[in-house]
Amino acid sequence: MAQRAAVVGVGITDATSPRKQTRSHLELCQEAAWAAVEHAGISPAELDGVVVGNIDGFEGTVLGGKHITRLLGLGPHLPMVVLNTGGTTGGNLMQVAARMVRAGTHQRVLCLGGPTFFGVRDLQSAINTNSPMIVEQPLGMGGFHMGAFAASAYQARHGTTVEDLASVVVADHQKAARNPYAHLRYTLTETEVVEGIPLSSPLTQPMVCPVSTSAAAMVVASDDVAAARRTPSALIRAMGTSSDPYLGGGKGDFAVMENLAALARRVYALADVRDPRAEFDVVEVFAPYVHMQPMQLEALGFCGPGEGIDLIRSGATDAGGDLPTNLSGGPKCTNAGVAGELAPYAYTALQVMGDAPEAIQVPGARTGLAHGTGGSFFQFENLAVFSQLTPQEQR
Amino acid sequence: MTSPLTQTVHWDLTYDVHLGNTWGRFMQGLREQKILANTCPDCSRTFVPPQAYCEACFVRTEQWTELPAEGDLEVFTVVWQGFTGGPTPPYAVGGIRLAGADTLLMHVVTGLDFSDPSTVRDQLPHGSRVRAVWAEDRTGQILDISHFEPAG
Repeated sequence: MAQRAAVVGVGITDATSPRKQTRSHLELCQEAAWAAVEHAGISPAELDGVVVGNIDGFEGTVLGGKHITRLLGLGPHLPMVVLNTGGTTGGNLMQVAARMVRAGTHQRVLCLGGPTFFGVRDLQSAINTNSPMIVEQPLGMGGFHMGAFAASAYQARHGTTVEDLASVVVADHQKAARNPYAHLRYTLTETEVVEGIPLSSPLTQPMVCPVSTSAAAMVVASDDVAAARRTPSALIRAMGTSSDPYLGGGKGDFAVMENLAALARRVYALADVRDPRAEFDVVEVFAPYVHMQPMQLEALGFCGPGEGIDLIRSGATDAGGDLPTNLSGGPKCTNAGVAGELAPYAYTALQVMGDAPEAIQVPGARTGLAHGTGGSFFQFENLAVFSQLTPQEQR
Repeated sequence: MTSPLTQTVHWDLTYDVHLGNTWGRFMQGLREQKILANTCPDCSRTFVPPQAYCEACFVRTEQWTELPAEGDLEVFTVVWQGFTGGPTPPYAVGGIRLAGADTLLMHVVTGLDFSDPSTVRDQLPHGSRVRAVWAEDRTGQILDISHFEPAG
């Protein structure tokens, strides 16, 4: 029997660099999984499924999720699904868990994402292997090189300066400084960002996400399970995924996120969101490179083409603004791979449950938007709309 | 004495990727100094590199055409920091719109003076004309086009 699905528990570990991390991949995953179960107020024996994500190759493993799940200590007979969709793995975890719950075959499903980039000596070299083989891999592009295409095209279209881009980094770091789970918790000036080490034009090192180590987990459950809780849950009102052609050159226009805009129209229609700027109390987008957040704000209908940076500079996306965005500091300040991709969903769910870390909680947040994206040139997008489900509203 | 923190794991694996008919024909074209594209019969979009199926219409592509080895540079980035096993930076990679194509062909772009990073962007403004330079030894791979250089 079809039923609604809601996030009822979230677990996020603190984050640090691979060098400073003292816990293993498995230990981080255990910590996040157990925190999510505890937050949900259920016992591990009540789980009836696990959706675990990993990215083969980047982690130096094949189907690493299989090894992790068995060792979580959650019970011997837990059905498991391994997701391995590259950069969208984390964002897709909840989509798969929610479909299992909505189908009525599962009641409580754990989603789990660990640290993907934990240990690889040269991450850009690993990411180059993710580039389309044969026609694009031999050209020499790692993650931030491919990311820089959109930044360069956006600059050419709108006359965006490096100082404009730097202002987005400054805002992200101010937010991360308040999030106890964030990795880079220091603030930066525009000058420091502009004068950072050039990586791939126009991106400098501070404009690109760090390599973090952390884990994140969520429990997705049915209405009935949510109703039994004494505190609010995060109802998944609508969700969806969308894809561009796989080859980087198949993207028609690097200066605009057409694929995300199309997905937003579809998901907003499902959730009956008519005025996104007015209706969302909190937004978390997956923006590991600086230009992505303004471009995503445009594609999500919060402002017009080329206006994303002005929107961020206006303070609207800060805590206290009318569209608080990436109060976690976003993947720009904490990106552990699959855990980082799951993070926008985890933080948005926490916000509408009223359980985000005190320093970043948006008072009274009831409706939230979470976003994920991946692919060598970010060809793949995912979105979800959450609404607060209070105990008295539950059937 | 601190306890051991890491152990090294190394992968070094070689694969033969089978190109199939569509990319096989494209690679044979490059060997003959021809850039071949194909077209979707439904939406009439022309793909380079060619595709066996149109991703939007889910139909088999048909008509093959040879595109000019010249086009407009729509986007590029200068790689200042490379990676293990990659080319030596600085170098530039761009997306090139060959006349008649609905997709961009990604390739290495030369002819830039990297001595002053702040001027590199303006040396090849959006839409600059570039042309393919063929490698002397062509073996049927994307680097049979050595690179694209400014034309005119």
